[in-house]
Amino acid sequence: MNLEEKIRLYFKEAEVYRSQSLLDEALDKYRMVEKLIQENRKIQNKKPLLERVAARIAEMEKRCKKENKPAKPPPVSDEAQSLMKEMFSFDDPQTKGSASLGGAIALAQFGQYDKAIEEFNRLLECSELRFEAAKHLLQCWISQRYSDYAISLFQKWKKTKFLPLDQLEALRNQLQGMLKKEGIERDLSDIEVKKTVEPDSEVEDEDILDINSIRFDLPQGPDKGRRVELEVGFQSGKFIKMIIPREEKSLIQSIKPGDLLKQIVFYSPVAIFSGTGFVSSKKEISSGPKRGDYSLEIKIISISS
Amino acid sequence: MAVINLKNRQIECKIVYYGPGRSGKTTNLEYVHRAFKKQVAGRMISINTDGDRTLFFDFLPLGLGRIKGCDVKVQLYTVPGQVKYASTRQLVLKGVDGIVFVADSLTVRREKNMRSLKEMHENLKRMGLDIRKIPLVLQFNKRDLGKKGLPVMSVEKMTYDLNRQLKVPFFPASAISGQGVGGTLTQVLKMTLQYLQQEFKWA
Ligand SMILES: Nc1nc2c(ncn2[C@@H]2O[C@H](COP(=O)(O)OP(=O)(O)OP(=O)(O)O)[C@@H](O)[C@H]2O)c(=O)[nH]1
Ligand SMILES: [Mg+2]
Repeated sequence: MNLEEKIRLYFKEAEVYRSQSLLDEALDKYRMVEKLIQENRKIQNKKPLLERVAARIAEMEKRCKKENKPAKPPPVSDEAQSLMKEMFSFDDPQTKGSASLGGAIALAQFGQYDKAIEEFNRLLECSELRFEAAKHLLQCWISQRYSDYAISLFQKWKKTKFLPLDQLEALRNQLQGMLKKEGIERDLSDIEVKKTVEPDSEVEDEDILDINSIRFDLPQGPDKGRRVELEVGFQSGKFIKMIIPREEKSLIQSIKPGDLLKQIVFYSPVAIFSGTGFVSSKKEISSGPKRGDYSLEIKIISISS
Repeated sequence: MAVINLKNRQIECKIVYYGPGRSGKTTNLEYVHRAFKKQVAGRMISINTDGDRTLFFDFLPLGLGRIKGCDVKVQLYTVPGQVKYASTRQLVLKGVDGIVFVADSLTVRREKNMRSLKEMHENLKRMGLDIRKIPLVLQFNKRDLGKKGLPVMSVEKMTYDLNRQLKVPFFPASAISGQGVGGTLTQVLKMTLQYLQQEFKWA
């Protein structure tokens, strides 16, 4: 085989690998072609040839880089999520409702955390599944890098004796293990008598604009999904305070300290942005003209755009 | 884990297409979807793909009609082949009744074939399944590329690499044109139903 033929053959090979997204293989071959062209003196008019090959190499390198990034599962449609849930729910005849548990675990394994969390929250109601659901729920939050929030949930369960004591103890061990895997060492003993855990905020006080009002959808309760808008009455950096009028019964009921609001829209005089907030307190106002209304405090945890 | 209901005389089983990335698993299902219209019992669902790479799985339901007095339904799945989706492969493999291992005939993919088969072996073991017992068929895909002058391995070499111990049926194929796809599927179905018949004595 003469040199020209060899180059042509290798190039063709590389092109096929490229078309099949066999990126490493294509890259190897393009590099071989490049080397052959460079090293050989007989070839005339090398420049356009080399340019063409170099462009391909650059393209392959770019695609490889994208491919090798650690994969975060993309969100999928509601329909696909229900399908995943259905397909991977294996019934364990020993436990009632275990099929739904399996489905929710599958969703979490596929990285569909929001949907999985919704399912686990529902399963918490079922006492036989409560422990398993609670465990996976904590894991879902930790996997999304909301470890503090997971701890605050556990603290809430512990304070309210949401599970029998032996199960709470087992759950504490599990949680400790999950945190350790993420490189987090936390002492969780007697957490129920400690100050309420608040998730750390990713944002600096000075990065937060003045906020006039906020909007979010009710995360739970009888009016789940209802859109709510509240005016901000007081702001100190990432802490904002709002008044909820006493007539807003369903709003007052559905929001509790310790809740995480994952989609809040913040309105400032100069920009609109969205983010996550932690309900740090909700108190009934006991004196003054606003007596009977509620004061709600939210800590801004992160800002997305 | 087939669902077998002898009272209603219904059988539902799960076939998984396994293999290294880009070997042609999705292409197999796409061809089955096009060519076996009569047996296709619903939409083919490809859950989130990135370009043409599978990120979660593909799914295609088939209905084979009555076999030995039983209504037989089959679910075909593909796994995502890229190395980084190892845990998804385990999940999709859960409850499998029969497997098609799609190997890539391109010489440059030799290692990848062997590594993927080994991984599958381990995954089955972890699930308490024996690779020598579960219905399994090999497919040597992309044979057409040899004719186009690309370096591909001979069937003999691939048999040596992948099948010298397993000794299961194998099919040279070109999923893109459909050649060998039907034969592969028919064989794995035959073996799977036979296996279930023995296990559950439904006929
Ligand atoms: N020439 C040729 N190309 C094929 C054949 N089968 C598949 N391809 C091509 O190979 C590439 C990968 O095919 P897919 O079916 O997406 O492979 P896959 O195994 O599903 O890949 P992953 O989802 O990443 O695991 C595509 O570009 C296909 O067109 C074949 O028989 N011959
Ligand atoms: Mg695929």
